[in-house]
Amino acid sequence: MGELNRRALGRALSRAADAGVAEALHTVIHAPEDPIRRIALTGAPGSGKSTLAGALARERLAAEATRRIGVLAIDPTSRYSGGAVLGDRIRMDGDDDQSRLFIRSLASRHTAEGLADNLGALIALLAAYGFDEALIETVGVGQIDCAVRELVDTVVLVINPESGDVVQAMKAGVMETADLYVVNKADLPGADRAVAALNGRGGAPRTPGWEPPVLTASMDDAASVRRLSEALDAHQAWRSEAVDQHETRRRRRAYMLLALLQRQVQRRAETLGPTTDPAALLESLAADFRSFADLVRDQGETRDHG
Amino acid sequence: MSAAASKLAGKRILIAKPGLDGHDIGAKVVALALRDAGAEVIYTGLRKAPDYIARVAVDEDVDAVGLSILSGSHVALVEETVRHLKAMDAADIPLFLGGTIAKEDHATLRAAGVVDIFTSDMAIEEVVDRLAERLDALQESRA
Repeated sequence: MGELNRRALGRALSRAADAGVAEALHTVIHAPEDPIRRIALTGAPGSGKSTLAGALARERLAAEATRRIGVLAIDPTSRYSGGAVLGDRIRMDGDDDQSRLFIRSLASRHTAEGLADNLGALIALLAAYGFDEALIETVGVGQIDCAVRELVDTVVLVINPESGDVVQAMKAGVMETADLYVVNKADLPGADRAVAALNGRGGAPRTPGWEPPVLTASMDDAASVRRLSEALDAHQAWRSEAVDQHETRRRRRAYMLLALLQRQVQRRAETLGPTTDPAALLESLAADFRSFADLVRDQGETRDHG
Repeated sequence: MSAAASKLAGKRILIAKPGLDGHDIGAKVVALALRDAGAEVIYTGLRKAPDYIARVAVDEDVDAVGLSILSGSHVALVEETVRHLKAMDAADIPLFLGGTIAKEDHATLRAAGVVDIFTSDMAIEEVVDRLAERLDALQESRA
């Protein structure tokens, strides 16, 4: 891979993020196989995900001299204004050599569950630009954020020892989707207790054959970041042996298709608003579903002939 | 969403603090006002170098960069930022300036490539409105 054209990638990511349903569908259906490793860091606000993501990216760039890492950092869009303040990169970016690191801030826009519009297509673009890894940072709180599971290989749940969210984490949802647990800010009081609680969590592992390890991380302790990075490698290696790649790919396409449909519904609800007559709303939604089905059929035919 | 919220809908804007001044209340007030007008706002934090700001603008593919400068060295910092944007094939990203900017420097700054200058005596609504107008005009002239 030659030198990274940041301008071209930056623009391509905008186009892909802004793509309408028809264009995005085309991407979902025609997306090539890509070997990019996909890692997600998720956890409650304030758990230190961004800082940890920055440290982890640096550790993984240092570990492999030609590795390229793309970070997609997602923050929520305001339901009131449609705007967003995207502040993750302040905590992960530095003035050091960035030739192999690309960070993009994303607003969640019309997509629920802590993800962003057309996220699958954005990851595919990173792959097309020669990136070996995509690091996705997203807010995951308790019970809803399982969607990221469908798009990535490895889900890291970042836990703040002081917030008492270990009990929250015990709840169904993101706790069950994690492949690795990291008690972050491990230099703070409460970390040992959080680790003990996680180790004693019980319950069957989500993926047979992989017991999610519990790690600690602290920005004062470079070795802790290295251990996390090695645990990620171990999970990736396990996956490449144990998980059916075709099944993974099929599930990712199914997720992206559903996400597009959800977005269509969400947009319709936003455009019409709660004051709309329910019958009119249903009619609009039915029309949306019909045109969506038409699009899927057209795209499918294009693929068969192409 | 209110009408005010749509003024900057779909726009991505970088608010950056180059140089050594240590105050960013103004930059943060502007960032929140832009968000409330519908923009996606990326904020760099304090004391960033012009080459860093240019790289973030390119990676984030923003529709505008707003530099907030209180230190008095705005001419040098603007020229450096413009130079780095050009080097990254991003001279088309419009540059705005806010802060304590002496009147006698405005002509120099505009000649260097600054589209508009917002001084601290302006009401925040005026800043948002003028920024939205400038960006709309740029969009039309390029279409």
